[in-house]
Amino acid sequence: MRARITLCVVKISRFLLSLLGRGGSLPGQIGLKLDGQILQKIKYPKEIILVTGTNGKTTTTNMVYRLMQKKYKHVICNVRGDNLLVGIAALFLRNTKMKLQVDADCAVIEVDELNVPHVLKRVPVTKVLINNFFRDQLDRAGEMESVVGKVSKALEDFQCALILNADDPNVVRLADTSKQAHVYFFGVDKNSESKEISNEASEGKFCFRCNHQLEYAYYQYSHIGHFACPNCGFGNNDRYVQASDVNLDTQSFVVENTTFHAPQDALYAIYNATGLIALAKLMDIPFANVQDLLKNFELKDGRMESFNIGRNVLLNLVKNPTGANEVMKYIMRDPEDKDIVIVLNDNDQDGTDVSWIWDAHFDLLVDTHTKHIICAGKRAYDMALRLKYEGYIGNLIVSESLEGSIDELKKLDDHAYVIATYTALQSMRKILRRNEK
Amino acid sequence: MKLNVLWMYHDVMDLYGDRGNIQVLKKRCMDRNIEIEIDTCGIGESKHIGDYDLLFIGGGADREQGLLFDDLVSRKQDIIDAIDAKTFVLLICGGYQFFGQYYIDNSDNKIEGLGIFNYYTTSDSSVGRCIGNIEIEATLDGKTVNIVGFENHGGQTRGVEHPLGKVVHGHGNEYQGGYEGFYNGQVLGTYMHGPLLPKNPEVADFIISKALAKRHGEVQLAELDDTLENRAHEVMQKRMAGA
Ligand SMILES: [Zn+2]
Repeated sequence: MRARITLCVVKISRFLLSLLGRGGSLPGQIGLKLDGQILQKIKYPKEIILVTGTNGKTTTTNMVYRLMQKKYKHVICNVRGDNLLVGIAALFLRNTKMKLQVDADCAVIEVDELNVPHVLKRVPVTKVLINNFFRDQLDRAGEMESVVGKVSKALEDFQCALILNADDPNVVRLADTSKQAHVYFFGVDKNSESKEISNEASEGKFCFRCNHQLEYAYYQYSHIGHFACPNCGFGNNDRYVQASDVNLDTQSFVVENTTFHAPQDALYAIYNATGLIALAKLMDIPFANVQDLLKNFELKDGRMESFNIGRNVLLNLVKNPTGANEVMKYIMRDPEDKDIVIVLNDNDQDGTDVSWIWDAHFDLLVDTHTKHIICAGKRAYDMALRLKYEGYIGNLIVSESLEGSIDELKKLDDHAYVIATYTALQSMRKILRRNEK
Repeated sequence: MKLNVLWMYHDVMDLYGDRGNIQVLKKRCMDRNIEIEIDTCGIGESKHIGDYDLLFIGGGADREQGLLFDDLVSRKQDIIDAIDAKTFVLLICGGYQFFGQYYIDNSDNKIEGLGIFNYYTTSDSSVGRCIGNIEIEATLDGKTVNIVGFENHGGQTRGVEHPLGKVVHGHGNEYQGGYEGFYNGQVLGTYMHGPLLPKNPEVADFIISKALAKRHGEVQLAELDDTLENRAHEVMQKRMAGA
């Protein structure tokens, strides 16, 4: 009875909030407040796929969502990235009928790493897909070690399918601790972007089992690469799916004689796609469906979002060192003269600790073709100092307002890029739109 | 004139952008035509610490700090000798804790420190994590210096005989503790990162002078253009003051 009343209240509050133009995860918060057990009382779809990890969650979740729509009639998903327990609760409750049955045959949920234990405790998840664990927002998440520890503990009793990136030691260790799960590994072959040594690998230096230093045959980016422990063999795993013949120029790669198109010309995008292919294979979804999906996939949400303010500007979201490195590598693949706006905020959702910018390789931007760097945001000066001490000798401009940074950009005429942290993204998008011709 | 720096455990103890401190020391020396060499020392590497003017250790994750501890203990006498020979020591977070009696990590493991100083660090999670922007008023060899940074530590460091400074905003060694860091004229330990030196050029230059003093006596450092640094400092100071 209580569950139904709760459900009624959730639905009414959702309706009222929608009149106010609000929504998001608030109805979920109300539902959990009224009945802390509500998520244990509803009847779920047979298939629930959980996506977590540090980088690429939203992109991967959206791809999985579209993939599942090729197999199931009614798929629900927190596409907008409300990935805390309340967001997941909001998703399920708003799709729950009065008979307490979730009205869907499949659910795809993006879950924040620290919320994985809370979700797994309540929701009968059938598949978990994990791509990577990087340093991210140390102030909120604590050390990466403790984040992985929490996820690992939450998966100890998990009995279904675990789809893991075989090239991330911090992900691979989950196979050791998830004794009840069926583990499927995916990875990516050595290619023209791979490196013998890495100056980006800050995590995963030591073997999870025996503390011996790990050895890498090659690195892809950050600490992602073909690793193994020479002492105990940790990391020597059979791959269920392996991408080969990676060609970033043509944005293509091959899995089991099928050529796929990568949504972006970056290695992290190949990993996102390969995880998706592993999932498709496991669920008997024809590769032709995945080919089709990847060819047409575009996620315009601060990922290479393009604007025309008289010339083209690409807007990118950055939130941690690895993500920032990948964005910068992408920008620097453009051989022309360029101007870059960097907006660094330190609100809660950005991470209040901005020391991560010193872990990120802003040295990538130090190049004679980087004509101007305009720093803005609440931590504009920290960003400017980061570049100064990296030896950037181009034109370094600090703009105390966000508007001002685009005004500066408009005075110039090189290729233009904007990179912004989470809470600055929305404002920058609005400003860029206002300036569009 | 040359400054020899030893960055110990550079590959493990670099959790909060500690490399930024090294970059600042390097550029501020080079801009003054002071030659600077940054040498690193990993686990098991044989280095004679007394050969260097400055020893730097940053902070790391608990698990990784645990892995290097035996190595550090094996160097205790070498470190003490170096300090006696006037090598200046800069310690951030984990490096700072290591030089005390012991520390208790997040998982309640008690790890013996080098025991060079009397302070000790407990993990008192009920008290609260010291996290956020911080401003302190420090006295460096008689000179008052305002320092801004970011702190993020669960460990509560107590029994500090010579704190680096008095907290203006933030926590410091202990949750709402009032005092931050340690400084005894030769060793400077602090929880302040962000990293510490970019926004605090005065501290950077103080450390350079102290390290140079080992072999060159008192050195007058040339002025640099610190407009950006000072503005960055000022912005954070104003923010903390709520202005
Ligand atoms: Zn091993």
